[in-house]
Amino acid sequence: MINDKMSYKLVRIIKSSLAAIAVPVFIIYIMVAKPDYTIMNSLAHVVLPVAHGVGSVITWPIRAIGQSANWIKETSQLRSENRELRAKLDAALANKYNCDIAVLENQRLEHEINVKKALPYSTVIADIQFDDSVFHHNNFLINRGKKDGLDKGMVVVSFDNRMVGTVTDCGSQFCRVRSLADRDTNIAIRISGSDISGFLQGNGKSKASVGFFNDTQFVGSKGLKVITSNISGILPPGIYIGDMVDEKNVDILRPNNISRVMVLQYNDVGSYK
Amino acid sequence: MYEIISILKQITPFLITLFLWRLSMYFWNPAGILCLIPVFYYTFVRPIKNFAIFSLIFCFLIDYRGDLALFWTCLYCLFYAINGFQKYIDFKNTNNNAIYMFMAFIGTGFFLLTIYGFSWINLVNNLWLFLWLSILYTPITALDNWVKS
Repeated sequence: MINDKMSYKLVRIIKSSLAAIAVPVFIIYIMVAKPDYTIMNSLAHVVLPVAHGVGSVITWPIRAIGQSANWIKETSQLRSENRELRAKLDAALANKYNCDIAVLENQRLEHEINVKKALPYSTVIADIQFDDSVFHHNNFLINRGKKDGLDKGMVVVSFDNRMVGTVTDCGSQFCRVRSLADRDTNIAIRISGSDISGFLQGNGKSKASVGFFNDTQFVGSKGLKVITSNISGILPPGIYIGDMVDEKNVDILRPNNISRVMVLQYNDVGSYK
Repeated sequence: MYEIISILKQITPFLITLFLWRLSMYFWNPAGILCLIPVFYYTFVRPIKNFAIFSLIFCFLIDYRGDLALFWTCLYCLFYAINGFQKYIDFKNTNNNAIYMFMAFIGTGFFLLTIYGFSWINLVNNLWLFLWLSILYTPITALDNWVKS
């Protein structure tokens, strides 16, 4: 018993002595080996991977939970970020559509200006406000009137220079236009490329009737182009009206197919400006 | 079955040490410094056979990770030597699992580390670690008592 106690004390003193000796040894080593610490680093290169590997095995549940928590956090962050990005994308797309519309409008306006410049007549561009087709009548209002120099009897054409109708009434800021489809329309026409003249009458449909040709032998056929004639002195000659679809009908342009028109101005003596 | 439980009880201190070292994390457990708790506890308060060598290795690993050049290893050896040579303080029979001794151990270390490269941030960091280790000492040592029972 006494021997055991003695040996225990002896072992303890030896261990403590070794520990006490180790302190200055370590300090001297730190001072000497600085800054490379070759032995210490070499030892760490062996011990660290082993400890790390064993530690990884026993701590994997905790690390897995931590990893899952990180994933959940990242997922929620990604979701909120996704929502923000979607909102930004929607705004950007809306902006893009606006830009596209602006570009198209710009192209259209450029085209209209070019057409207006190319025409030999003084013209006023107008928007169609209301298409008032009812029964056999086919009128529409445009947003230009006497203030803009328009007057009764002026010819309204589309931007591909195709006749749409004539102004029948004129307010200060608007005009009522009678389209070619209107039953009261009755204008002088000519078959393009010939001297054959006649009259065109609306019937409320998209195909107006032609007749009363100066050549009684003439029979119309599909594909012939019909233009205005200045027999009456009211309409300028040579404005394209449409193609004949059969021997008595012409395909005309109706206002519900267009949104903007040009009004050809002319003066009181019946000649165009 | 009894043998398995017995083996598990024997390896628990080693596992706890390894566990705390491996779960190193910025701010909460830098360089795995929380493993100083089992290192101190199983060396001085509830000594386990051959644990001193194991503790030395883990002090060395803390130093290596923290680039502290054998600081905790030297301090551990110093405390080990002092404890071995003196008889006045018996760590095994001290109240609260010798938490004050543990605080003295880590307090000395953090104090030396603070004055070695003094800055206010370093001071706050070391103060935080001192408090954090002191707080966790009681539950971790209580875990050992629970395992033994």
